[in-house]
Amino acid sequence: MDTIRQQFVADLAAADGNAKAVEDLRVKYFGRKGTITQLAKNTDFSKFSSEERKSFGIRLNELKTFAEEAIRSAQESAKAASAAKPKAKIDLTLPGADHRLGSMHPISLVQIELEEIFQGMGFRVLTGYEIETEFNNFTGLNIPEDHPAREMQDTYWLKNGMLLRTHTSPNQVRAMRKFGAPVRAIFPGRCFRNEATDACHETTFYQCEGLMVDRNISVANLIAVMRELLCEVFRREVTVRLRPGFFPFVEPGFELDVQCLICGGKGCPTCKQSGWLELMPCGLIHPRVLEMSGIDSKEFSGFAFGVGLTRLAMMKYGIPDIRLLLGGDIRFFEQFAATV
Amino acid sequence: MKISLEWISDFVDLSGIDVAKIANELTLRTAEVEGVETVHRNLRGVLVGKILTAEPFAADKDGEPKTYHRCTVVCGQNGDGTPRTYQTVCGAPNARVGLIAPFAPAGVVLAGDKKIEKSTVAGYPSDGMLCSAAEIGLGYWHEMLFEMPESTIVGTPLETLIPEEDTLIEVDNKSVTHRPDLWGHYGFAREFAALLNRPLRPYPVEDLDQFNHLPAFPLTVDAPEDCPCYGCLAFEMPRTVIPSPIKMQYRLHTLGQRTFNLLVDMTNYVSLELGQPSHAFDGDYVKAIRVTPMGKNGSFTTLDGQERKMLPDDLLIWNQNEPVAIAGIMGGLHSEVTVNTDKLLLEVANFKASRIRRTGGRLDLRTDASQRFEKSQPPVNVKVGTARLLRLVVEAGAQPTVTSRFTYVGDLKEDYRPLSMSRDLLHRLAGQAIPDDTVLDILHSLGFLAEFDATGILQVGIPSHRSQKDISIPEDIVEEVLRMYGYANIPPVMPKVPLEPLYTEKALRFEHRIRRLLTQGHRFIEVQTYGWMDDAFLAKIGYEPKATLELANPSNQNFRRMRTSLIPNLLPLVKQNKVHREAFRLFEIGHVYYPRETEFRGEGPLQLSQERRVEVGCFSGISYQQGNQPSLEEHFRQIRGAIEDIGSFVNNGVRAKSEVGGAEQSTAPWENPGEFIIFTRNGEEVARAGILPGKMLETVIGEGSGQVVWFEMRAKLDSYLEYPEFKYQPLPVYPQSWQDYSICWSMSDGFTALSDKLAAFTHPLLRKSEFVTVYKGKGLELGTASYTFRYWIGTDHTMSEAEIDGFRTDYLAFLKREGLTLRG
Repeated sequence: MDTIRQQFVADLAAADGNAKAVEDLRVKYFGRKGTITQLAKNTDFSKFSSEERKSFGIRLNELKTFAEEAIRSAQESAKAASAAKPKAKIDLTLPGADHRLGSMHPISLVQIELEEIFQGMGFRVLTGYEIETEFNNFTGLNIPEDHPAREMQDTYWLKNGMLLRTHTSPNQVRAMRKFGAPVRAIFPGRCFRNEATDACHETTFYQCEGLMVDRNISVANLIAVMRELLCEVFRREVTVRLRPGFFPFVEPGFELDVQCLICGGKGCPTCKQSGWLELMPCGLIHPRVLEMSGIDSKEFSGFAFGVGLTRLAMMKYGIPDIRLLLGGDIRFFEQFAATV
Repeated sequence: MKISLEWISDFVDLSGIDVAKIANELTLRTAEVEGVETVHRNLRGVLVGKILTAEPFAADKDGEPKTYHRCTVVCGQNGDGTPRTYQTVCGAPNARVGLIAPFAPAGVVLAGDKKIEKSTVAGYPSDGMLCSAAEIGLGYWHEMLFEMPESTIVGTPLETLIPEEDTLIEVDNKSVTHRPDLWGHYGFAREFAALLNRPLRPYPVEDLDQFNHLPAFPLTVDAPEDCPCYGCLAFEMPRTVIPSPIKMQYRLHTLGQRTFNLLVDMTNYVSLELGQPSHAFDGDYVKAIRVTPMGKNGSFTTLDGQERKMLPDDLLIWNQNEPVAIAGIMGGLHSEVTVNTDKLLLEVANFKASRIRRTGGRLDLRTDASQRFEKSQPPVNVKVGTARLLRLVVEAGAQPTVTSRFTYVGDLKEDYRPLSMSRDLLHRLAGQAIPDDTVLDILHSLGFLAEFDATGILQVGIPSHRSQKDISIPEDIVEEVLRMYGYANIPPVMPKVPLEPLYTEKALRFEHRIRRLLTQGHRFIEVQTYGWMDDAFLAKIGYEPKATLELANPSNQNFRRMRTSLIPNLLPLVKQNKVHREAFRLFEIGHVYYPRETEFRGEGPLQLSQERRVEVGCFSGISYQQGNQPSLEEHFRQIRGAIEDIGSFVNNGVRAKSEVGGAEQSTAPWENPGEFIIFTRNGEEVARAGILPGKMLETVIGEGSGQVVWFEMRAKLDSYLEYPEFKYQPLPVYPQSWQDYSICWSMSDGFTALSDKLAAFTHPLLRKSEFVTVYKGKGLELGTASYTFRYWIGTDHTMSEAEIDGFRTDYLAFLKREGLTLRG
């Protein structure tokens, strides 16, 4: 009898409130050939002593009561459940139709974000030309012909003597000439360098340079603005450090490193165990560049900086290979829904 | 570039330093350290040996015949005073009687855990091994035995002659391109001294003034601009080809250089120590030096045996009338020092960086010398380098007899160069005050003269080793002070500036709006392609662009033409992606370029008014769909809808007109006459869109059926109004009603023609008319479609039935007049 009770409990659990399953259960135990019905019918009470008979009868009644009660309760709740769920004509849980947003290029996403951050700090956003004169790309930025900086940049030259800009820096001069001092602006755009392509190098990449010229602009200001920018971009407190770096259009010049965002400075493969990621070249604008741009370097000073938009996009979105960005595979591009 | 701390210790006491800490300090204050490595040498048990006998014999090595020597090597004495000798077999080409080299007896463990054991080589017994530099852990060179000077005491344990360990700091070359002094160990020693606040020992040199009584060496410099300073010194030595001192050799090997003999090694040594290249000529051969350009086209054979083409501007060093070296890059084949000479001529010169870079770059010949000259070495090193080389010759025990005075042409610029700046500038650029004493201590530690005068002016003397290009303006001094002061010690301060109005470039704002519209409103995917076109693909689609800008140095000849349209760059993406998706829309926003070179030439400061555009922003897209449902017409209308949406926010009420393009307007194979349309605004073309002609489908799509729709816009967006100017129209007071009319019309005449025709209808009740839909098929003649238009009518009172019927009568009369029929 205990076995029957245990089996019943297991069957009840398996029925899981399903009306049909509960009915099957009832038939299995209380139908004409039901287990409990048969038990009562087929037991030969004559073999029992009166004590035994009495005890058997009590236990059988208990089992019957328990099972009947359980079945009734299960039937009721199954009924209630089916009453609450009318036959649906509309499935409201289907995904939205036409819900696919298109996607923006990851560089566009980062560029729009940077533009908004800088506009919030009162910077103009200016674009320029991808084809530049040698003067604008080099000479006007204090990069004379015999300067080592020219060897660092492998330039695409056009047959007409112009070149594909190797950085967005020509816009610094253009902005200072156009607006005079004080001025603050950023210049996002496409740049080109004639180098072999691999997972980290592309002939075509994006930068966003910027500058701020005003009275009394200092290294302390540069650090503060850059830190603010990076906190916004990475949406958390970041620790930055400056170290000497050489760029002919700034003096002093720096490399700005940010404490590794992956390991927090402890050292990991991303930061090559150094705890720091090299992020932005920057510096105080070279007085000769100010003068060439028609700004009195005695009265004004300024800082300039460059962010690799391509690099930033790769860091932010975890893109391991730069070649994906111009690779044309829509399975890559689709991952960047146009949500800005 | 690697820096040996053992070498630096010659000039600064490095005892007790924390290497990791100092490497970090260097990164923060001087130059980026890329790594620190400790090198271990395998010297235990290795002895100085001398070859007593060497019998050559031939044996096969890896199937090739090779000469070996069966040698007896002596390494000091046994306990009883007899010479301790060993037998060995040596395959090095320089094995010979009398040679002194490291010997590893059996039991010694050499580099690479190579344990030396007694053995038999080619039938001869071997008690040990004569060693190359690589075998004792000094570097890579393993072909030759490590030759030691004759004065080396045989039997000496090698570990007493060579330090067992060194620490190498690897510095990023890029971070020292502006610091010629840091291309040598002494320059780094100066930074270490400043960082550690320990004294810098003077650079060990011979006094050259002692030879002033000697005759000058015949020297002429015809090109003072390309060669600002040239110095030379002649001397004789009893023997010119001798091994270098052990210290010189192990340092060179450790830094990856091979050693040869004293005269070659010492020039490499001074190059690594001072950053100053030099060259030793055969003094029997070179009688008089002339520094002059090639003057004509010609050729010159460098010491590596290569014949090099020379241009007239290339600077050469001449022995009278015969070229002996390409200035600052490489010597010639015939003037190398040989064993037959006892006369030498030392050249230490200063060449203009751009000259060296131009010639070296053209010849694709980048040597250690040219690399350093390209950093603008200070001319004072002409003298310092000569004096140092002579000291090394003396220290090597080579007993030189100097036969000329130190002869030089040009300005050595030995003196401190004065520079003054205000204390205020320093504090202003730092953004905070820095104590005067701190400023002076920093500058003094770096070798500058510095003092503040009573008026707050900082008077600086720039030392000769920094005065060439490196330090020239007050801001350079600011950098020197701040980097040593520590940028981390400058607290950030946000700038406080007056509020000013701000203007954003209109074109950029439109660009983002179009980007958003296409992606968020029309499901386009933004892609980017290269700025050039692929000639191979252009040939496939039969496109020959009219005029393009061409790259002089493309990465691939097929990629030399700059793009004049984005379409030929987008089309290949169809085939690439159709395996992934059955339909997709792609677009790119980018520049296209045109050759109008005459307008863009010209050097000199930029004049904004002279600037002409050779490039314009371009918005292009393609839409691919597999199969033919929905129809090509429907597909095209979807894309046209996107273009019209763009038009509605950039046009500011000026409606773009469109017409079907014919053969005379077609400029590219994807513009098939009758299958593309041209949008104009105020008579100016703003966009084109079309369906990809059948003849291109196979190239673009490949196998299988499909459709491609394209568009390209080149609007001059900055001439448009940024924000729309809506004008409110009063809402009708009385109810309006509408009437729909379906008009049969030939599809080849097109919607626009019909719409233009209908526009002629005027009526006092007419408020607005609009196109509703088009129907083709059952009940219509082939080539005819039914175009349904809706007419809204209303007036200043509630319209009567008669008025409404009147409109219908008038409209039907109009249709009849125009010869238009309603759909049955």
